[in-house]
Amino acid sequence: MTMDVVDYEIFGNEMQYVEVELDPGEAAIGEAGVMMYMQDGIAMDTLFGDGSQQQSGLFGKLMGAGKRLLTGESLFTTVYHNESSGKRRVAFAAPYPGKIVPVNLSQLGGTLICQKDSFLAAAKGVSLGIAFQKKLGVGLFGGEGFIMQKLDGDGMAFIHAGGTLLEKTLAPGETLRVDTGCVVAFQPSVDFDIQYAGKIKTALFGGEGLFFATLRGPGRIWLQSLPLSRLADRIVMASRMAGGGGKESGSLLGGIGLGSLLGDDE
Amino acid sequence: MSPGEAPLPARFYPAGGDAHGHPARLAWDDGMLLVQPEDSPALRVPASQLRIEPRGFNHSQWAIAWAGEEGATHTHLLIVDDARIAPLRAAAPALFAAGDTTRRHSHRRFRVGIVLLAAIPLAFVGALLLSVEPLAERLVDHIPPGVEQQIGEAVLAHTRAAGPMITEGPAFDALQAIGKRLARPGEVLHFHLAARPELNAFAAPGGIVVVHSALMAGAGSAEEVAGVLAHEIAHVELRHSLRQIVKSAGLRIILTGLSGDYAPLGGWAAQLGELKFSRDAERAADARGLERLKEARIDPMGMLRFFETLAVNTPSGPALLSTHPATAERIDSLKAAIAAAPGAPAQSIGIDWEPVKNDLNGPPGK
Repeated sequence: MTMDVVDYEIFGNEMQYVEVELDPGEAAIGEAGVMMYMQDGIAMDTLFGDGSQQQSGLFGKLMGAGKRLLTGESLFTTVYHNESSGKRRVAFAAPYPGKIVPVNLSQLGGTLICQKDSFLAAAKGVSLGIAFQKKLGVGLFGGEGFIMQKLDGDGMAFIHAGGTLLEKTLAPGETLRVDTGCVVAFQPSVDFDIQYAGKIKTALFGGEGLFFATLRGPGRIWLQSLPLSRLADRIVMASRMAGGGGKESGSLLGGIGLGSLLGDDE
Repeated sequence: MSPGEAPLPARFYPAGGDAHGHPARLAWDDGMLLVQPEDSPALRVPASQLRIEPRGFNHSQWAIAWAGEEGATHTHLLIVDDARIAPLRAAAPALFAAGDTTRRHSHRRFRVGIVLLAAIPLAFVGALLLSVEPLAERLVDHIPPGVEQQIGEAVLAHTRAAGPMITEGPAFDALQAIGKRLARPGEVLHFHLAARPELNAFAAPGGIVVVHSALMAGAGSAEEVAGVLAHEIAHVELRHSLRQIVKSAGLRIILTGLSGDYAPLGGWAAQLGELKFSRDAERAADARGLERLKEARIDPMGMLRFFETLAVNTPSGPALLSTHPATAERIDSLKAAIAAAPGAPAQSIGIDWEPVKNDLNGPPGK
C-alpha cells in the first residue's frame, strides 16, 4: 500500500484546524463533516466505508462501513483529491475545543489504537478499523468503552481530543495511572488496564471514580486533559435548565460538589 | 526460520536504555536469537535465557525479555507484533507455549464475561415474565367487586364502540329469558347481544356475558344457547376473565416498559374481548357450566349438540372454537360427565327458536 506524503500546518490555539497541502494527484481522507475549506482543483468524493484500498468487493465495503457505524462515526468518509497541476490546500477543523495531533504512523510501527471518535483526517491509504477492547473490566470501567479505533498504515494521520493533549513515551514497565476518559491514543505495545482506586474513601469522595486507567510501557501514549463528555457535563450542570446557577456568581454551596460523589467523568 | 530468511522487525529496549527503544531485526540461528539493532552491535541470546509473553492491547504484541549483563538490574526487552511473529514461533514453538495459554485464557475470560453480561438482563426479564402469573393470581383475589365491575364496563364499552348492539326484539328477549333461567337466586348477570358475524360469545368481569348474533342464529334451539351461556357464566364465576386481564396487563406493562414505547398500552384494552383461556380453564368452565345447566334443569345435550355442530360444520375453525382448544376432547369428556350423572329430568326452556332465527336472519334494514 503506498501512502501519500502530505505537508500540513496546524492553526489556532484552543480551537484548531489543520491545513493539508496536497501535491498534484495526492489525496487525503477526512471524517465526514470536518472539512473547513478547500481550494480550487480539489475534487471531493464520498466513499462508502473507509478510504483504504484493502477492501475489495461489496462485502469488504459493507464490512468497513459496518465497522464505522460501530465506532459511532458516519457510514461515509470523504476523499479530497487534488486534480489540478499545482499544490492545493484543504483544511479540516476540530469539532470541539482541544488539540489536533499529527501522528506519523510509519514512526509508530504502523498501528495506533485511538479513542473511538478521535480521528480527524489522514493521508489516503491509512485504514480506519475498529479494535474491540477484549478486557471486560477495561471496557466497562476504563472510560473508553469496548470499541476503539485502529489506524493502520504508514502515512500521516491527524487525531483530535479535548483540552490539552499530552504526548508521553513510557519506558518498559513504566506505569501511569490516568483518570478514566483521558486516554486518547496509544501504541499497541502499551498495556491498557484498570486499577481499583484502592480505598473506599478515595473512591467515594476523591472525585475520581472507582477506577483508574493504567497504562504500562513500553510505547507512546496520548492523553487529553478535558474529555468532551466532562465538558458537556459541566455545561449541562451550569445551564439554567438543569437548575445549576443561572447566576453570574457561584451558588452558596457551589464548592461542595456533592454531585460528584461517584466520579462524574463519563 | 533459517538464517537466509528475511529478518522480522521488532523494537529493542536495551537494559538501562531510554524509553523510546530502537528498531531492530530478529533472526533465529541455531538455537540462538540474533538481535540486530539498527544503531548498535548485534546480540546473540541463547534460547534458554528468553522469556516470551503476550503483551499490549488485546495481547496483540509479544514481549521477548532476557536478563541484562551481569550487575545490571534491568532486562533487555523486544516487542514484536503478533502478525510478524510466525517465523520465530515456527523456529522455537516451545518458547510460546506458556504465552499462548495466557492468551487463550484471557480471551476465554472475555467471552464468558460478555455472555454473563448479556445474560443478566435476559435473566431479569425472564424472572419478570415468570413472576407475572403468580403475582396476577394473588392480585386477583384482592380486587374488590367494584373494580371488577368497572373493568367489565370498560370491556363492554369497547364492544359497543366496535359495532352495533341489539337491545330489543325476539332474539334479545330470548337471550334474557335463557339468562334468567340460568342465573341462581341473588346472582347478578348481564347478557348483551352484539350484532356480529363471528360465532362467538365471551365473558367479561362483573358478570357480563356478550353473545354474538351469529351464534344465536347458528344455534338450533334455546338449549344450545343455554349451553354456551352456562359455559361463559362459569368463566365469570371462576374469575377467568379478570385473571387473564390482570396477567395480560402486567405483561404488557413489562413489555412496553422494555421497549420504551408506551403507545401500545392505550390499545390493549380494546383486545380484552378476545382473551384466550388455558385448557384447564376451559375444562373447569365446562364442568361448572354443566352443573349450572343441571341446576337449572336444562337439557345438557343442547350444549353438546352445539359444540358438535360447530366442530363438524366449520372445520376451518370459527372464532369460538379457536379460543376453545381441543374441542373433540372436550366433547368426549362432556359426554362422559353427562352419562355419569344424568341429573334431574330436564324441562324445556320453551322458546320457539324459529322466530329468533328469523329475527336475526331477517331482511336487511330490520
